[in-house]
Amino acid sequence: MAEPRTAGTATARSRRKSVDIYAPQWRNFLFVAPYLTIFATLLVFPLFWGIWLSFHKADTFSSGRFVGLDNYFRLFRDPIFMQSIWNTFYFVFLTVPALALIGLFLALCLNRRTRSAAVLRALFFSSSVLSVTIVTLIWRIVFIPDLGLLSMVYGLFGAQAPAFLADPHLAMIGIAIATVWWCIGLPMMLFLSALQQIPQDIYEAAALDNANRWQTLWSITLPSIKRTFILVIIIQIVLQFQLFGQAWLMTRGGPNNLTKPIVLYIYNTAFQRWDIGLGAAASEILFLLILIAAMAQYLVTRRKADA
Amino acid sequence: MTLRKLFLATISAATVMMASPSFAATELQVQRFFGACDADFGKNTDVTKAVGECGIITSLINKFAADNPDIKINVTTVEWPGYDQLTAQFASGDAPDIVTIHESVLSDYQSKGLLMPLDDVLKTVGLTTDQFTGAAKEGATKDGKIYGLPIDNWTMLYHVNMDLFKQAGLVNADGTPMLPKSPEELLAQAEQFKQKTGKPYFVQNLANETALFTRNLYTYLFQQNSDFFADPKKAKFNTPEAKKVVEMYKAIFDKGYTTKNLDYGGAINAFLAGEGGVQLNGTWVVGDYNAQSEKAGTALNKGGYAVYPYPQLFSGAKAQYADGHTWAVSKKDRSPEQTAAIGKFLKFFADNDFEWSRTGHLPAYKAVMESAKFKALPHRDTIAAIATLGKPLPSAVQRQFAIQDIVGEEMSAAVTGQKPVDKALADMESRVNELLANL
Repeated sequence: MAEPRTAGTATARSRRKSVDIYAPQWRNFLFVAPYLTIFATLLVFPLFWGIWLSFHKADTFSSGRFVGLDNYFRLFRDPIFMQSIWNTFYFVFLTVPALALIGLFLALCLNRRTRSAAVLRALFFSSSVLSVTIVTLIWRIVFIPDLGLLSMVYGLFGAQAPAFLADPHLAMIGIAIATVWWCIGLPMMLFLSALQQIPQDIYEAAALDNANRWQTLWSITLPSIKRTFILVIIIQIVLQFQLFGQAWLMTRGGPNNLTKPIVLYIYNTAFQRWDIGLGAAASEILFLLILIAAMAQYLVTRRKADA
Repeated sequence: MTLRKLFLATISAATVMMASPSFAATELQVQRFFGACDADFGKNTDVTKAVGECGIITSLINKFAADNPDIKINVTTVEWPGYDQLTAQFASGDAPDIVTIHESVLSDYQSKGLLMPLDDVLKTVGLTTDQFTGAAKEGATKDGKIYGLPIDNWTMLYHVNMDLFKQAGLVNADGTPMLPKSPEELLAQAEQFKQKTGKPYFVQNLANETALFTRNLYTYLFQQNSDFFADPKKAKFNTPEAKKVVEMYKAIFDKGYTTKNLDYGGAINAFLAGEGGVQLNGTWVVGDYNAQSEKAGTALNKGGYAVYPYPQLFSGAKAQYADGHTWAVSKKDRSPEQTAAIGKFLKFFADNDFEWSRTGHLPAYKAVMESAKFKALPHRDTIAAIATLGKPLPSAVQRQFAIQDIVGEEMSAAVTGQKPVDKALADMESRVNELLANL
């Protein structure tokens, strides 16, 4: 009687040891702890601190008193803030389609294994590695009246160059041109990598069916990179919503606040006027806008993927 | 063996680290605007050879460092005016020891207890406020204490291209430029200038600019006795006086009497290239422009360069907007050596205020102001009047740079026709008051 009992206990013990290899182990937390610590201190904590600040009358050197939604009411009464929301959407409208379409066009042109294509790919991508300071410096030299490159070119034809930095109708377009030039590298590379993943045999089959280049593009290439196209749009919307450096360095938000994006409004409010509470409230609105845009894109993608 | 080596190395490193402070020079973190010009003056210690704000301040700091090898000066140069950065530095507890601050901005930082009162430090190096000019003393004093060592007072000026003025027939019998005495006369002379020379009367940096607009408005409000900051917490800009000024500048813009679309650098280049008669710029370019006028072949050498305070266009007070630069010291715990080094630095700048006044700024010290060598500097006879004309905003008005941006934005919108004048003035007033109500 004693023997079988012993054997049974040993089996049960060994079974208990072996079943739990996928069970949660607290010590595994150590592996993700470094990342989680940084994530919590640099992202989660500031996020909630920002929300807390937006309900306070705070300045740069004191946390102030609780004012409820007052900062939000002040924001929506401020025509400059409403203008900055409009400016940001206008800028996204100007840049995102341009980045997606020009990026796609460049990728289609440069998707070949020649040396010149490789050089041009590097060349088009090279602007992306520049800092915003250098980019805006270059474009200021292009746009600057009387002495700029544009003025010289117009001068050859005896014409006056448009004032891209000062004309109320052109200032945002000027910033958009500089931004597209700066940011075109990433969409181009994403499209190139997508294009290179399309199986060659589909193109061969199309060639056997006598499909022309337009039909191949429309029926094979574009449907194959649809998901990348949506990815590019999402990434660019999120990035371009955060316009700051170009507007600050090229036009300071002028003329008449027509190129002041939300981030510059936040900067003006929080760091120049020391009204941190109002700046935090504006940041929360920007957070919501980006969240809505990203979620809308995500839902569209998911629905299409399901279909 | 390896462990022993490691142990000995650690002990040696620790000893060196502990011992080094006793040998180290006293370090001071100095932060300033006025630009960077290391290529020309980075190693220069002969201050007399330097020209312009950047050249002179760089050379002065070099000279101080060379004269005081026991004090190590680490200079950070910030883009003008550098207050966003300074505010962030204060907020993060990483402020420089000594920093350039405008008199108009001192009260922002002083009211938050971030600056050290300098009365005691200055006393130890033999500096007293009775040595300051009246304007400098008033600008640097907050709540009865000195919060910045004044180094100058500055204002805006009419920088005149005499060659173009002669072509326009706008020269008096004694060879001085004919300047207007009323808004109507200004417009008439600008028209005459345009007809005769084919160029605009004014060279202004109007592209996305705020400071110039604001200083022009303040000056001509002072000249109409408009007390627009009678209450430092509530501005009054929506007034007939302000409307007169804005409409005058709008007429100048609409009739093509000014350059348009130029930024600050572009406006300087345009004036030096002879593209217009009068540049509206500050005292800080007098030294540079005078040097240009002495160089053969330049537009200013052709017929000469003259510089004057803003003309009196209205019948009120004889005044124009002015401000000043100071060296302020952040409040923090310091060793007696560090405080002494700060005293030495401030004393050096007070002693060398004449060199700084060569920029074109007014000296902050009576002795320099009254000295023969200052009076002998070029054009000081014509601009000396700014010592009495210069008028700042009341020092109780806070966030003067943020206010300047709002006032400038709205005036720019009105002058360039993007907003009706009345609407711009109403917006200017409500935006400034919203800011002041939420300090």
